[in-house]
Amino acid sequence: MNFDLLDRERKEKILKSALSVRGRSLWSDARRRLFKNKAAVTGLIILSIILLFSLFGPLFLQYKFDQTNWDTIYQAPNLQNGHYFGTDGNGRDLLVRILYGGRLSLTIGVIATLVSVFIGVTYGTISGYLGGKIDIVMMRIVEILYAMPYLIFVIILMVVFGRNIYLLFIAIGAVEWLTMARIVRGQTISLKEKEFIETSKALGQSTFLIIVKHIIPNLAGPIIVYITLMVPAVIILESFLSFLGLGVQEPLTSWGVLISEGSRDMETAWWLLIFPGTFMVLTLASLNFIGDGLRDALDPKEY
Amino acid sequence: MIKLIIKRLLVAIPTLIVIIAFVFILMRLAPGGPFTNERALPPEIEKNIQAAYNLDKSIPEQFLIYVSNITKGDFGPSFKYKDFTVNELILSGFPVSLTLGLSSIIVALFLGVFLGTVAGIKRNTYFDHIIMSVSLIGICVPSFVLAPILSLFFGLYLGLLPISGWNNGNILNLILPITALSLPQIAVISRMMRASTIETLNSNFIKTARSKGLSQKIIIRKHVLRESILPIIDYLAPASAGLMTGSIIIEQIFGLPGIGRYFVVGALQRDYTLVSGVMILYATLLIILILFSDILRAFLDPRVKLK
Amino acid sequence: MNEILKVTNLSVRFDTPEGLFSAVKNISFDINEGKCLGIVGESGSGKTQTFFSITGLLSNNGACDGSALFKGINLLGKDSKKISKLRGKEIGFIFQDPMTSLTPHMKIGNQMIEALIYHEKTGKREALKKAKDILSIVRMPRIENIMQKYPHELSGGMKQRVMIGISLMCNPSLIIADEPTTALDVTTQKDILNIFNELKLNKNITIALISHDIGVIAEVSDDIMVMNEGKLIEKGSCNQILKEPKKEYTKHLLSCIPEWLN
Ligand SMILES: Nc1ncnc2c1ncn2[C@@H]1O[C@H](COP(=O)(O)OP(=O)(O)O)[C@@H](O)[C@H]1O
Ligand SMILES: [Mg+2]
Repeated sequence: MNFDLLDRERKEKILKSALSVRGRSLWSDARRRLFKNKAAVTGLIILSIILLFSLFGPLFLQYKFDQTNWDTIYQAPNLQNGHYFGTDGNGRDLLVRILYGGRLSLTIGVIATLVSVFIGVTYGTISGYLGGKIDIVMMRIVEILYAMPYLIFVIILMVVFGRNIYLLFIAIGAVEWLTMARIVRGQTISLKEKEFIETSKALGQSTFLIIVKHIIPNLAGPIIVYITLMVPAVIILESFLSFLGLGVQEPLTSWGVLISEGSRDMETAWWLLIFPGTFMVLTLASLNFIGDGLRDALDPKEY
Repeated sequence: MIKLIIKRLLVAIPTLIVIIAFVFILMRLAPGGPFTNERALPPEIEKNIQAAYNLDKSIPEQFLIYVSNITKGDFGPSFKYKDFTVNELILSGFPVSLTLGLSSIIVALFLGVFLGTVAGIKRNTYFDHIIMSVSLIGICVPSFVLAPILSLFFGLYLGLLPISGWNNGNILNLILPITALSLPQIAVISRMMRASTIETLNSNFIKTARSKGLSQKIIIRKHVLRESILPIIDYLAPASAGLMTGSIIIEQIFGLPGIGRYFVVGALQRDYTLVSGVMILYATLLIILILFSDILRAFLDPRVKLK
Repeated sequence: MNEILKVTNLSVRFDTPEGLFSAVKNISFDINEGKCLGIVGESGSGKTQTFFSITGLLSNNGACDGSALFKGINLLGKDSKKISKLRGKEIGFIFQDPMTSLTPHMKIGNQMIEALIYHEKTGKREALKKAKDILSIVRMPRIENIMQKYPHELSGGMKQRVMIGISLMCNPSLIIADEPTTALDVTTQKDILNIFNELKLNKNITIALISHDIGVIAEVSDDIMVMNEGKLIEKGSCNQILKEPKKEYTKHLLSCIPEWLN
């Protein structure tokens, strides 16, 4: 199982560049390069459409996501009666459910990102600032956690504390901070070595405060980048848990729940697997293209 | 080299203890867990647990006993399966999971390294584009989507392969699970390998090798591969972690009686001892793997030894 | 005079995301046998790419046209078999950055003998013996010991000596040295330049010495050519360029090192 679309090295490269890009013009340069990348632009367009649909689509649809109807069970996609993507075994409209599932995954993605950025920045700054043996130990811990099957941690958390959706946010965020911690540590160390710290110190500011002051304002870029990297991990992880019956519970729904139901009914109602599956794969592919595009845009040295 | 191993062990052992402590604390916090008093269990199991966890002792003492039991390889009685210890359950699933995991990692490594290297050498050719597109599918289509489709197509539709069961490790029964499990890793490894091959090919020492007038074959074999494979060595442990989690779902879908399946059943039924036993087993295996890949890296990369 | 390398109308272009970039623009020059041609120009002027194109080392996104006759064979021609034989055997290349130019996972000895074994089917023992002889020419200390070491265990100067040694292994008639001293400290620079002078005088090896530092060029070169922005500015004998430069750009280059005019 593979929860990140990008391997660790690529991820680190992107984040590192995102954190070290300073100033408006550099960002607009990066944006220009990103918009020149056809695959990334396609990804952005598809993702925006999915995003807008998930947020606003339900407002324009005549059905509610938890509205069961025993007269419309397993109906194939139909343009006349408004069940554009068909209905499920409870007669609920599939399209609305897919859009609600998308909302949920995207929300978890954003919240989990914020949690993991918070932990990562704190850990990385402390490790880089303290340096020496403590730094070595702290980084070795990160190294080991990288290799842990963190999904199993998450499952255990779900087992112990019950299947709680808020817990899911935090659990995912709590295991996804490693990359951020490494990047921030690197930044902290290089800031620590810079001369201007010496001069500011002479003015009576502590090095730690100076580092924090330099890192925090530059976090906006990395957070946005991190969200694009994190959302796919969240989507897959949540789907994985839901597939096992440990994730989102009825009547709430997610793409993972829909896919796992769909694969059960695959032979009688193909649309139940194909539509949610398509949404998920399209989103993941778009995010992958955007991630690749971001790397090239932020770090354009490669020919 | 021995120094390196000792150094890594000095980190690995505390790590394991921390993980065990983490699991222990969770067990204590768990409502209805093995360390709480209010629970409704069948009397036989209740008795086993009382005996196994020394509930009359103080908490630090309990922890020490817990740790020493685990170092002896004793995970205690199962919470839900009346007449089984966790060890018995794990032992019965281990051969299945090991066969599945080991074959998958070997397949993923060989195919991933091979395809990635060729794609990197022939980059921007049709071959490269095809490999990269297929690997994109491998990354974007999760195994729980891929596996049902595979079994539908090759099993039910074409009738070529059995879609479920272990059948004493018959190779035919293993083909679909191994494919579904290793495909995402093949995708990741081949992409990593492609990137690192390209980076290595662009490095200065390859220019030197070229300026010697050596053939492309020799340059790849003697100069490029040893360098470009290093990120894959580092990825070995995370890849195995990915396979472990992947196997949980694959064993479920293909009805294989491995550890992963016990883990899911344990998780759904709140069999705390079983779940924590599996967790600790996985963590131990991974720490051994990290150690192994560190040593392999030091062996392949002379620069490591100095540090 | 007979020229060992005759380059006519050489151009190099790169395909970049921003469009086609012309790095070398239609230059012609030749190098006489047993002499040293110095190529000078500020960084980015196309010196390296000129010689990369001649020796087939251009990056994937690069392409070149024109002709480069080496002992009568066109190195940019079609006969790729003959050409790759020449490379490594008849033409040695020394790179700018000794720190990264050696394969990190191979022992020095093995890196040195590789080309000899490949091109001349020499036995390993014989090749190792030759490597030791060559290392003593480039004045490497503790040769036996060095042969067993990995690149990261050597200093920059030692690595550059190894690089020169590698280029000498097959008794080449032309050596291309691309900024061979730029990454080194001043005393090591002197040593390396002395080695070049010896190779030229004692072994009659032709040298193309590339540098942005006209002082370095002046120490070894017989002829000098000046490049800027991919164009050839002027060429002439060492004395002529240093004493009576014709072009403004050359004067400008010389003015950067005033002690040289005195
Ligand atoms: N692979 C490449 N793609 C695009 N441009 C390149 C590439 N390699 C070199 N260049 C450009 O070609 C120009 C000449 O480079 P070079 O010959 O290395 O200069 P120098 O005179 O310093 O040796 C530079 O502007 C450089 O940026
Ligand atoms: Mg150069």
